[in-house]
Amino acid sequence: MPFTLPLTRRRFVSSAVAGAALSGWLGRLAAQAAQAAPAADQPQAKSCILLWMSGGPSHLDTFDLKPDAPDRVRGEFRPIDTSVPGIQISEHFPKFSRLMQHAAVLRGMSTLESDHQLASYHVHTGYQKRAGGVAFPSLGAIASHELGRADAPLPNFVCIGQGPRHSTRSGFLGPDHQPLDVLDPSRGTEFLSPLASQSEFARQYELLRRFNASFLDLHPAESARAHSSALERAVRLMTAEQKQAFDLSRESDDVRDRYGRGSFGQGCLLARRLIETGVRFVEVTMGDGVGWDTHRDNFPRTRALSLEADAGMAALLEELRERGRLDSTLVIWMGEFGRSPQITSGGGRNHWARAWTSVLAGGGIRGGQVVGRTDREAAEVVERPISVGDFLATVCQTLGIDHTRENQAAGVKRPIPIVDTSREVKVIAELF
Amino acid sequence: MGRLPSVLAGIAGLLLGLAPATLWGDEAAALADLIDQHVQARLESEGLTRAALAEDAEFLRRVFLDLHGVVPSADQAATFLKSRNPNKRSQLIDQLLASPRFGDHFGDVWRGRLLSPLANDQRVQAERFAGWLAARFNDNDGWDQITFDLLTASGKIEENAAVTYLIEGRHPLGVTDLADLSSRYFLGIRLNCAQCHDHPFVDWKRQDYWGMAAFFAQIQTPGRPKVVYLAGVRDDPKMTLASLKDADAIEGLQLAPPTFLGGQEFQAGSTKTYRAALAEWITSSENPYFARAMVNRMWWHFFGRGIVNPVDDMHAGNRPSHPELLDLLSRRFADSGFDLKLLCRAIAGSRTYQTTSRAGEQPDDAEQLFARMPLKVLTPEQLYDSLVAILGPPAKSSGIDIRQGAREEFRQFFAGDGDPDPTGYQRGIPHLLRLMNSPQFAGRNVEALAARIQADGSSAEEVVDRLFMTILSRPPTADERRLVEAQFDDASAPSQAVYRQVAWALLMSSEFSLNH
Repeated sequence: MPFTLPLTRRRFVSSAVAGAALSGWLGRLAAQAAQAAPAADQPQAKSCILLWMSGGPSHLDTFDLKPDAPDRVRGEFRPIDTSVPGIQISEHFPKFSRLMQHAAVLRGMSTLESDHQLASYHVHTGYQKRAGGVAFPSLGAIASHELGRADAPLPNFVCIGQGPRHSTRSGFLGPDHQPLDVLDPSRGTEFLSPLASQSEFARQYELLRRFNASFLDLHPAESARAHSSALERAVRLMTAEQKQAFDLSRESDDVRDRYGRGSFGQGCLLARRLIETGVRFVEVTMGDGVGWDTHRDNFPRTRALSLEADAGMAALLEELRERGRLDSTLVIWMGEFGRSPQITSGGGRNHWARAWTSVLAGGGIRGGQVVGRTDREAAEVVERPISVGDFLATVCQTLGIDHTRENQAAGVKRPIPIVDTSREVKVIAELF
Repeated sequence: MGRLPSVLAGIAGLLLGLAPATLWGDEAAALADLIDQHVQARLESEGLTRAALAEDAEFLRRVFLDLHGVVPSADQAATFLKSRNPNKRSQLIDQLLASPRFGDHFGDVWRGRLLSPLANDQRVQAERFAGWLAARFNDNDGWDQITFDLLTASGKIEENAAVTYLIEGRHPLGVTDLADLSSRYFLGIRLNCAQCHDHPFVDWKRQDYWGMAAFFAQIQTPGRPKVVYLAGVRDDPKMTLASLKDADAIEGLQLAPPTFLGGQEFQAGSTKTYRAALAEWITSSENPYFARAMVNRMWWHFFGRGIVNPVDDMHAGNRPSHPELLDLLSRRFADSGFDLKLLCRAIAGSRTYQTTSRAGEQPDDAEQLFARMPLKVLTPEQLYDSLVAILGPPAKSSGIDIRQGAREEFRQFFAGDGDPDPTGYQRGIPHLLRLMNSPQFAGRNVEALAARIQADGSSAEEVVDRLFMTILSRPPTADERRLVEAQFDDASAPSQAVYRQVAWALLMSSEFSLNH
């Protein structure tokens, strides 16, 4: 609800520092917000939802099962048929299995880092983390930068859940592309409402604007400008109609149940609502803390996690389809790496970056296919290996972003391409 | 305490017609003069004039933030502004340098640089490490000694906090990160490009990079970080670059012997550990890089940009804006025994540092020649400590998980990554929403502050004065006073709600958020 200023008060009018039109800014902000209502969003503009499987899911127990492998590798789960003949996945993704015609399963993921934080950083940014080096932007910040509208009332990039914070920041792309973090989707985003009453907030914000205007007058520096503009964007969000997108209680119980009532399912629902409001990139993290990092008890845990992931992502894809947004919304399912073929004595699997699986769905890609193949123990990629660069360049192409476009980071002489082109980059042509 | 050697003083005197300095304070004052003369000469050669001297209040807040990392209290501000002592600025600098808060601040700053943001446990170990650094800075140990001890520390992390750099500075890449960080922070050199290919702009070759990395090979820990916590840091002479974990997967690995930058190989058969040899070489007063790196880094700390930029990319092709000044300060710094307080006193005491940040005649890029003080963004630590100093301890707030400690959580939430530009405002919507609307600071704390100040003040004018002094360390201008008084309702006495609103607006203001 937009704030209103108490018009009867004379205080602003009598002010000696009176500059721009008094009290007009709240109205202007509300008007801008109204213009950017969901209906105004061009349907052909692409958006992306990254379902981040924190901890690194076992590819052998989700999307690259090896029923013929020896016992110490094979695991407990059975493969099931999907809506696409010939493609089989784990029995614990029953709902998603019926949507396979929309999805491509990338079984050739082959990456370099096998430490959680370094691998998260690498697959999010396309660059390996080096001490004291350049701060690279994450995929979400890149999408915000390339696809986002500067005047959008909501941030163009939102992260839901306890995600890998170090990997999702905007780096050298700066404050406009920092994600808004929503830790608990059922609570929505924090700190959207003023502590004071709305009329009091309007008064104190007006006072703040005056203080800032006179400071900027004396100090016309970029930092002071950036501070004022970030403040204004934050207040615009507080006053925007579209902040209702954060309020899941506006959805029926049926819809909420369909996604699963856990934090991940509700996060998927929130992601759908945000995309419909014009947010370009939403990352939903599944698994706070340990998540898919199943060094022990891999099978019971992967089973439970799979069922939860299945409900959330299947409901998301179905709803996007029903609401006409599946072709313009790319959904990515991935973690930072896969897990070792060898089952440990504790019934777990360790980290494995050399061969693993991610899934793409929607976004106008050609679905119903598997790309790449691993050996009989899912230990090595034997056909169509996909590097981090290949993967991100493919995502960029789907979203209509030129992955070779270069950015200039402050303090760095060389221009930095969106995807590291110092190594050969092969877009996955099969998807287009 | 380092004394200016007479030879150098003589040279400086010849060059600039100065009397040799005799006292420590005079030494700093002489250096401050040299700074001003060099900066002034360069400005004149460009046809630029330097901006006016900062007003007392501007200087006061700036020097508190730069030396103590926190804004002054209202009482400190009032005392300073009232004083008519012509030497009050240099006396304030001396007081700030003598207070343990000086070491705390620089310990904080260096802990942020030397520890990886990916370190395992930010709180306990990082705080102990910051404490170790703080004590060294407060004792004014030479930067060479501090650096030597950081590079050669041994033992377990709980017994010797100095090893934290070797363990957590390089999480989890080990040897290669230590080579990067050590050349960046102690030598002002970016070697990391040379990990995989010869450096495109500079002389560094892959063998320079791996020769540097090889010095750290004896302390590698093949296992998980836990192993190093249990066993501690020690040198194993059997370890070489070839024994690095997954050596064949490391980009660009070259099995170089330990080699000092510039090509001198470490003598085999020496009884020294690799690290001791490297530390001696780095901190030697003959080393042309070591003093320059720290002088440039400290200059960057005070001015928001270095004499060479980027601050840690010093090489022949990257010209300093003031080459003679950098040479001179580096030499004097080395000759003083790498005396950091002397360097701080000289820079903060200079007219160049005490220049206003207000826009004047100068074009904007004159800031690059230090004609005017640029605005620096308050670091997360400066912001947190200043909020606590003004508002008291943070209140509980849902949505803010402070299991790791409120200050640490705040630091991580507000931190930029990499080596952020001190003059660039990098915070976005999430940060401002939190500052404006979270009860952590903006709720009861602001209310209590307004109530306390209202109870102390006898008139509305006094209350408004006190609010400005407490938050911005200066009295309001006439315009600001009118603006605030316009908030008062017509007849009744100003309510506490109005003071609360004023306090909130001041705390959220650009002026408060920036070091001007």
